[in-house]
Amino acid sequence: MEDKEIVVEAKNVCIHYRIMKNVTVRHNLFQKRSHEEVFEAVKNVSFTVEKGGILGIIGRNGSGKSTLLRAIAGVFSPNSGTIDLKGHTVSLMALGVGFKDNLTGRDNISLSGMLLGFSEKQIQEKMQEIIDFAEIGDFIDRPVRTYSSGMHSKLAFAITAMLETDIMLVDEVLSVGDERFKKKSLNKMKELINDKNRTVIIVSHSIDTLKSLCDRVMWIHDGEMKEIGKPDEVLGKYLEFMNK
Amino acid sequence: MYLINSAIMLVPTVFALFVHNYICHGKLSFLRKLSFFLIYGVMVSGLMYAIAWMRNIKGTGIFHMTVSHRIEFTLLGCVMSFCLAFAVCLAFEKNVTVQKLKMYLLRFVKDIRKYFHYAVRSARADLRSEVANAYLDWLWWLIEPFCMMLIYTLIFGVVFKASEQFFPVFIFSGLAMWTFFSRGMNVSVNIVRNNKGIISKIYLPKFILYFARMLVNGFKMMVSFVIVILMMILFKVPVSVNVIYFIPIMLVFFLFTFGLGSILMHFGVYVNDLSYIVGIVLSMLMYFTGTFYSVGNRIPAPFGELLEQFNPVAYCIASMRNAVLYCKAPQLDLLVMWAMVSIVLAALGVYTVYRNENAYVKVI
Repeated sequence: MEDKEIVVEAKNVCIHYRIMKNVTVRHNLFQKRSHEEVFEAVKNVSFTVEKGGILGIIGRNGSGKSTLLRAIAGVFSPNSGTIDLKGHTVSLMALGVGFKDNLTGRDNISLSGMLLGFSEKQIQEKMQEIIDFAEIGDFIDRPVRTYSSGMHSKLAFAITAMLETDIMLVDEVLSVGDERFKKKSLNKMKELINDKNRTVIIVSHSIDTLKSLCDRVMWIHDGEMKEIGKPDEVLGKYLEFMNK
Repeated sequence: MYLINSAIMLVPTVFALFVHNYICHGKLSFLRKLSFFLIYGVMVSGLMYAIAWMRNIKGTGIFHMTVSHRIEFTLLGCVMSFCLAFAVCLAFEKNVTVQKLKMYLLRFVKDIRKYFHYAVRSARADLRSEVANAYLDWLWWLIEPFCMMLIYTLIFGVVFKASEQFFPVFIFSGLAMWTFFSRGMNVSVNIVRNNKGIISKIYLPKFILYFARMLVNGFKMMVSFVIVILMMILFKVPVSVNVIYFIPIMLVFFLFTFGLGSILMHFGVYVNDLSYIVGIVLSMLMYFTGTFYSVGNRIPAPFGELLEQFNPVAYCIASMRNAVLYCKAPQLDLLVMWAMVSIVLAALGVYTVYRNENAYVKVI
């Protein structure tokens, strides 16, 4: 923990979901505005990750891990508190990926890349690499809607793995595709993670993965941070708690 | 009688208050509402008297106007109060300041620059994918509007005996603009929902989605206008210098579509069945816009002209036709008025989206 450069700094982050049942016109016209319930997904979480650090996040289903990750990715900003990325580029790797269904794989690669902040030229250079890694063959020039779910996730993984950003956020994607691809992606992940310049935050339920990859682990319970520290200690307490 | 007279003042005032309330997110206290009501009342009537005086109707005064004048003034008042509310908010509301406006403006410019390439690329990919699996490829962009034109020419030109000069060109040019507008509105309502995959993975300013869509529609409109040019040569339509008004009219039209679309986009996120309403309103508007007839000439005296002036889409289409087909310059004061309204509308739309886009992902 010497004076390394801090890449991600989160201070007192709170994120609410306002539970708004999707309104219809009928509701709006004939009912008074129903009192809105506020659901606090993340409460007052603060942490820092320094350059090259690998932070694992663990917690029960629905404890706010993915929400926190999405906030770091900038999909939405926290309701209070700040998340400072110090100007680094960030990409979120998650299951159930966002492609435009009508476009071909190739177009989707370009568009995703541009949204991640790469220029068209950089993407063209990486294009072949991505296509090779994803192993989807001729399908690359067909619309994404014709892909199987495996191909979908493989392409998504390939894009985020090949277009390397400073900060990588990984949300349970370490089990993509068949056995062979799984092994390949895990190796690629390890290679990426071991790069000293890359900062990684991983959300996972798999104790083994976290133990083998991370140098620090954060345990979130019901939106609050319970513990942060060495993987062995935190994971041990987490297991103890879950088995109670 | 007094009721109708006071409606001239009341409707714009209430409208201004409504816009004001919208800008402040409906958080006005009763007292503030009342005081702003008075302020707007005074301002609107002052402006109206000024205009009436400038137009030399001072002798008759507001209480002795003809019906058409009354309607005209009410509509004019609404349009003015729309811009007025914006200005008043800037002046009086604490949380709406010039500084904030500037901040949003800078952010908007920055975002447009940053994501412009993305929007263009996305539009290109969309266009390509639309025709990738069709037999006739991009020819559809020509065939579709052309066939629509043939249908309308047949029905309105032959069956209903429309008497407009250069009728096929008349219909075709109107249709091109109307399609651009209606497609934009239809798309905007569902656009956030339809792009869920992208926006739940990465941040992008949500109006970029709509902007990219508008580029797609805009390209199709351009293709149609290429045909318009060809048809004009074929029909030997005389052309004058006034053709250059085509450009400012199109700019206003584009801006108006953008502004209205981004506001609709915001409400489309929260209101599930908004698309039905938009569909109904659009089909009603289509007949009041004069896609296939001239609103100004066909609808009885005061109303036709009023409709043409105070329905922005109709105004844009009509003055485009005048400029391109009939060598007439548009009414400049109206063009400036609609330009102003469009700018305010676009500002309002972008502001709305910026303020609320954070919550979109959580709702859909």
